[in-house]
Amino acid sequence: MRDAVTLTLVTQPAYALVADCVAPDRLASLGAAAIAALPVSHGGRPARLGDFFKVTGPPSGALWIEGDLEKVEALGTAMAGGELVIEGNVGRDLGLQMAGGRIDVHGSAADNAGGAAPGASRGMTGGEIVIRGDAGGDVGARLRRGIIVVTGDAGRGTARGAIAGTAVVFGTAGPGAGRFMKRGSIVALGPLERPATFRYACTYRPPYVPLLLRYLRVQYGLPVTDAQIGGRYERYSGDMAELGKGEILQWVAE
Amino acid sequence: MKVNGVLIEDTFAEAFTMRVARIVITGRTAKWAREAATKLTGFATSVIGCKCEAGIERELPESDTPDGRPGVSVLFLTMDKESLPQQLIVRLGQTVLTCPTTACFDGLPDLPDRLSVGKALRVFGDGFQGSKVIGGKRYWRIPVMEGEFLVEETFGMQKGVGGGNFLILAQDADACLAAAEAAVDAMTGLPRVILPFPGGVVRSGSKVGSKRYRNMVATTNDPFDPTLRAITQSQIPEGVNSVLEIVLDGTDAPSIEAAMRVGIRAACRPGVQSISAGNFGGKLGPHHFHLRKIMNEVTG
Repeated sequence: MRDAVTLTLVTQPAYALVADCVAPDRLASLGAAAIAALPVSHGGRPARLGDFFKVTGPPSGALWIEGDLEKVEALGTAMAGGELVIEGNVGRDLGLQMAGGRIDVHGSAADNAGGAAPGASRGMTGGEIVIRGDAGGDVGARLRRGIIVVTGDAGRGTARGAIAGTAVVFGTAGPGAGRFMKRGSIVALGPLERPATFRYACTYRPPYVPLLLRYLRVQYGLPVTDAQIGGRYERYSGDMAELGKGEILQWVAE
Repeated sequence: MKVNGVLIEDTFAEAFTMRVARIVITGRTAKWAREAATKLTGFATSVIGCKCEAGIERELPESDTPDGRPGVSVLFLTMDKESLPQQLIVRLGQTVLTCPTTACFDGLPDLPDRLSVGKALRVFGDGFQGSKVIGGKRYWRIPVMEGEFLVEETFGMQKGVGGGNFLILAQDADACLAAAEAAVDAMTGLPRVILPFPGGVVRSGSKVGSKRYRNMVATTNDPFDPTLRAITQSQIPEGVNSVLEIVLDGTDAPSIEAAMRVGIRAACRPGVQSISAGNFGGKLGPHHFHLRKIMNEVTG
């Protein structure tokens, strides 16, 4: 048994299950019964977390969630600390407007991971999200601070409208990555369809990239190669339709 | 007490509390990390004239640096906590920022006392600088003609010890220099200790003030100058014709003691008559390194 709260999905939701109450920092002081009683929205109707999940483990700042979570949305919303580990694929709005802590997804995540709520000017403002699979569209949308990593492919609009922060995509990044970005970085280790509003600056070794990639390798055990750590990157500044202080760093595989 | 036939005098070195930071400089190759470290620690022998004391602690392999490149660890000391960031900002800005391929990291990351050095250096970027937070630490990316200079935002500061020392009294200058070189070789690379003077050795030990010039803070240590034996209150024993001093700074007193033990043992070689130490009667510095006590721990 883990020394952490574990939520195991026992009843598959028929509709989208919005579980924005689930964040390790907010659950840290709650017992299993209190956690099971937290409100969720199932297909737009009120329900309890315990209607779908079995809650085990002692109160802890770490939270594990297991099961096929593709219909479970908004996990880790506004979390400010602690660690959330998800074993399996997860629905949209993961880590919505997250402010701190770590989310580690052993699977894929749907749209708007680390993104912003509708109408909000900022998405994720701190912390780290690692998705060990593919991500949907708008991953890291309006990113303000923090690191978001996708080890597989990312959908449309990675870090769209980012204000700062860093997104790392190991696979292919879909069209519109970095569009309307003011500041911030996209580190593209795979192919990326670059918006026309980004302008080539130079090819060089950005000194923070080895630091970042080594951190991801040590902290999360991600499959970062030495060639990626020590390699050269093409720097594209953008979005020139905005402030233009953002960047896409495209790894030059040699 | 004798070590290898060399007399260890019954005296002590008197040292001061200083403030210390550890700077880790990395480069594309060890050569460039060394180049930056050498410039950074140049003209940093004594707070008397340089306002700081600094030296290379050791070279770091790729596995021991934050960015996986070869590096050099530097200890940097000043007399008070106000002047430490001032000196670091000026010197890092002129020596490490300017040096090709280098990056600069804090070597004392666990300390709560933080100096905003990188934060001050960032303005060289003229608004084009940016920062990244990785693993809870903020780094500044400063654009330069070569590419980018990366520097950590803050550096840890702690109390350290400056002015540990011992004197090598030898029958002639050649034997004295050989003994000093042997001592420095033995102490080079020891953790938490630096030897801030040229080659680790001082030929011009000083006393406080002057007998003749009112404005002088320090003047020649005439009791240990062999050429003045006949006209001053000399402390040089019969048969000694040359004296050299080894000065040690470090992060803590036990590390300096350990280094002195190694250095003194290495200096006790043919041609050396005795080992002594510099002090001010025990009234100025809070750290007293008693030579015989230090050497007793190995000789029994």
